[in-house]
Amino acid sequence: MSAALSRSRRALRAAAALTAAALSATLLAGCGSDDEDPAGAGKTVDITFWGWAKGTKEVVDAFNASHKDVHVTYEEIPSGAAGGYAKLSNAVKAGNAPDVFNVEYPQLPDFVSQGAVKDIGEYVDADLKAKYLPQAVQLTTLGGATYALPLDAAPQVFYYRKDLFAKAGIKTPPRTWDEFHSAAGKLRKAEPGARIATFFPDDPTTFEAMAWQAGAQWFGTSGDSWQVSLNGPETAKVAGYWQKMIDDDLVRVEPSFSQQWTASLQKGQTAGYLGASWGGGVLKGTLPDQAGKWAVAPLPSWNGDAAGGMLGGSTFAVSKDSKKAKAAVEFATWATTTPEGIEARISAGNSSAYPADPDLVPVAAKAFKADFYGGQDVYGVYGSAAKSIGQKWTWGPAMGVTNTSLKDSFGRLSSGSGTIAQALASAQKDTVAELKNRGLKVSAR
Amino acid sequence: MTPTVPTTAPTAARAVSAAPSARTAAARRRRYGAPTVLLAPFFVLFTAATLVPIGYAVYLSLFTEHRSGLGFGGSETVFTGLGNYTRALGDGAFRGGFRNLAQYCLLYIPLMMCLALVLALLLDSALVRARRFFQLALFLPHAVPGTIAALVWVYLYTPGISPVIGALNSAGAGADLLGHPLPAVVNMAVWEWTGYNMVIFFAALQAIPREVLEAARVDGAGPLRTALSIKVPLIRSSLTVVGLFTVIGSLQLFTEPMILHGTTPSVVSTWSPNMYAYTAAFERHDYGLAAASSVLLALAAAALSFVVTRATRTRSGRTRPQTETGAVA
Amino acid sequence: MTTATARPGTTSTPGRRPWSLSRTAVNGALVLATAYTLLPLGWLLAAAAKNTGDLLGGRALTPSTWHLGANLHALATAGDGIYFRWYLNSLLYAGIGALLCALVCVCAGYAFHVYSFPGKEQLFGLVLLGVLVPTTALALPLYLLASKVGVVNTFWAVFVPSLVNPFGVYLARVFCAGYVPGEALEAARVDGAGELRTFWSVGLPMVLPGLVTVFLFQFTAIWNNFFLPLVMLSDDRLFPVSLGLYSWNTQTHAFPEYYPLVVTGSLLGIVPLVIAFVALQRHWKAGLTAGSVK
Repeated sequence: MSAALSRSRRALRAAAALTAAALSATLLAGCGSDDEDPAGAGKTVDITFWGWAKGTKEVVDAFNASHKDVHVTYEEIPSGAAGGYAKLSNAVKAGNAPDVFNVEYPQLPDFVSQGAVKDIGEYVDADLKAKYLPQAVQLTTLGGATYALPLDAAPQVFYYRKDLFAKAGIKTPPRTWDEFHSAAGKLRKAEPGARIATFFPDDPTTFEAMAWQAGAQWFGTSGDSWQVSLNGPETAKVAGYWQKMIDDDLVRVEPSFSQQWTASLQKGQTAGYLGASWGGGVLKGTLPDQAGKWAVAPLPSWNGDAAGGMLGGSTFAVSKDSKKAKAAVEFATWATTTPEGIEARISAGNSSAYPADPDLVPVAAKAFKADFYGGQDVYGVYGSAAKSIGQKWTWGPAMGVTNTSLKDSFGRLSSGSGTIAQALASAQKDTVAELKNRGLKVSAR
Repeated sequence: MTPTVPTTAPTAARAVSAAPSARTAAARRRRYGAPTVLLAPFFVLFTAATLVPIGYAVYLSLFTEHRSGLGFGGSETVFTGLGNYTRALGDGAFRGGFRNLAQYCLLYIPLMMCLALVLALLLDSALVRARRFFQLALFLPHAVPGTIAALVWVYLYTPGISPVIGALNSAGAGADLLGHPLPAVVNMAVWEWTGYNMVIFFAALQAIPREVLEAARVDGAGPLRTALSIKVPLIRSSLTVVGLFTVIGSLQLFTEPMILHGTTPSVVSTWSPNMYAYTAAFERHDYGLAAASSVLLALAAAALSFVVTRATRTRSGRTRPQTETGAVA
Repeated sequence: MTTATARPGTTSTPGRRPWSLSRTAVNGALVLATAYTLLPLGWLLAAAAKNTGDLLGGRALTPSTWHLGANLHALATAGDGIYFRWYLNSLLYAGIGALLCALVCVCAGYAFHVYSFPGKEQLFGLVLLGVLVPTTALALPLYLLASKVGVVNTFWAVFVPSLVNPFGVYLARVFCAGYVPGEALEAARVDGAGELRTFWSVGLPMVLPGLVTVFLFQFTAIWNNFFLPLVMLSDDRLFPVSLGLYSWNTQTHAFPEYYPLVVTGSLLGIVPLVIAFVALQRHWKAGLTAGSVK
């Protein structure tokens, strides 16, 4: 792009910013904003923030109430996969990106490679980094640069119906995948309509978390090229296991959070859920009549030792074009590492998110009412699950394509016209093709 | 490229021939002034909100984003000519979308048209009471936003929640609509558009001169015979226009399968060509590919509507195409 | 709906051929069709009074619990009553937008019908070309252009594109052909009225049912459109109802308490459309009749 053109674009962008500012000023005029303090030392820095999770508005309000130097304008966008990410990409392309936004771990590399995210290394010192769970820091560090601050870690655990398990004669929750298989059989025998869990064809991240647990490494870098291996032996082991569970009719194949899935939970036809820490609050909100009947257990593992992967989880990223990165990082730091920030988020709803800053876990645990789990120490289970999250996993730079491809072929599982192995093979092919198409280097492992 | 130009308005000729000779500026202003003023608002808006974006989409379709190495250095935009077009056409998923679309059209269009026509004929038969009620009740689905309609139908398709599926299952007829996207999508579209098009057909039927029908009765034609051999041919032009706009609307199929996609993975992210474009733009961030596939879809729509108008024009021969209202599908 | 069961005695008159249509069969078929069209609406009506548990437990049609009041209250208080702000926005976008759009379309359709000028049919063909372009394809370029002009995330970004409806121009031309006889215009001209005056005082009143029809269809289209607002708007105080419900619906996964809000909100969201169609029934039916008859 020529210099003149870029200048005129800049001018246009400035005009746009002015219009927006004028507009928001008129809109906010009635809301009693806090920048009517001309005598204050230094000017208030105004930053915009895009997010969607419930409770985010409360966090922003709490931040604004306690800060004079930075003012955050929160704009709620649809949740990431449901249009939020698309909106962000558009805004980045058009130069309208907010200063700071929420992005989940798997999508972070994609946004970084779109040129949407700023390297915030200069504002994040070692002390701050040391506060977070190391696995979360590692997932936000790409090519040696820091691209985001982790909000929550999302270790995978196993939620199950105590009463249904007891009825089927299962005394302790399964510790290994073998035990899980036999428990599934017992459960179905005791109650032919009941299944132990659900394979989510629409949500590959659940499968990915289990491949992660098994030690698979779908993505890796070597020098300046990517390595893609959805077809390694660890993944094949997990794929084989779940294929058998499906073939033996021991699990349901239903979309996650679909009306179908929820209905079968309601009716007690699904007795377990392999979900993340945040899933605890969702179950609670979805099944108010089943309070006290549920419990949480660590994810079964292959050898009985604690091991796990992560399922979702959000970060705060600063957009590349932001001129206020310092203020943005200040806000993100506050939101992710202060008790006030976490409290504001969790008290707004049923959230059972597990903070990426372990010091805040007691705060979160206190704010979340565990009566649904019979008063169990759910955060204790989350805590040990979080520690056991595998450290080798890296997300790829085109998870959108990888996941879409998996999702499209997982869709054939319920009709029996495809297998998990086939889905992985085609996702491998689609991912490599997409990376090459984008001009990225891909090398064989 | 002009599909159905319906009117050859005789008044137009008269308006012009009113002042054929005077070629003065004033006369020209008189002649072109009014149409300019009347057309200007539309064309200014049309240019800004449709033509320029189309041009921009075509422009975008010629470029692609290029990164290097690990890609963390951001991307640059490079010219790729028709590269995006060949990529779209070479993609099995894109062609699969057209295959689904063809199946959808073959099932939906005849089904909806027949249903609308039959209902209109029934309503037009002398045997019905409460015409106004039926007309309104059948039309009502059109007033329901597509997103809300799709949402409600998803509930009604879901085993365990839906009273319909429940009733079918207890009657022994297991129905798994979530596993079969084609009938699921077709049903939503039929529900939404049948009543609308029925009203159009009914309006046309009501306008058939009573003498014609009287004559048929005198000739001894029964109600069915009258319907098939007198009424239907007389509203043929309404049928063609509704058909044309249904075809155009069907090609843009998006909302219904998109909402189903969120609920059942058997509707893949590239189920219809429009969804393919959407996924390319908003999930793969591949704007060039998205623009190229949209352009291809628009071209297909143009070609198809050209064929449809050609075919109906030659078939209807001299009968002047009546004016009709179509379906904004 | 009582017509179905009425007078079972008159099923078939003797002497008729066996396949001829009986009154019961005709009415029965219509009742069936009506049941089909009304079923989802009935479900929505019943479901709006349910809480999350009943809704997802498949108890939407049992009258055991009645939560409509609670749902409405939740709707009114969620996000500081943002829903009704969306509602108002939708009324503005759709009401003013459809009115202006209908006027613009009728002006253009009238001009296409009455006047002849070089390149007229080519121009009309261009308009019809607009019908063929998928609206989803336009959203992204529109967004990029709008951001260059600096109107992204403003009222205008959604309002201005919704004033354009090429199909409306097509309809308006058809309506004019059906409603505006050349003689009437001729008479006005003989009386010395200018062209625009003729349009305003003779043509426009004649084509009023057509105007109402275009208005209604555009009103529905704008009311239902969530894709363009989704792309254009990020400030939820500017959202229309359709987009607000959509974004709530995307959150039901993590926060099931949104389910009843979405359902109840959807029900309220249909009300203005149904009222508009019922109240303006006479006009749009006349509009459609004029369109299909000559």
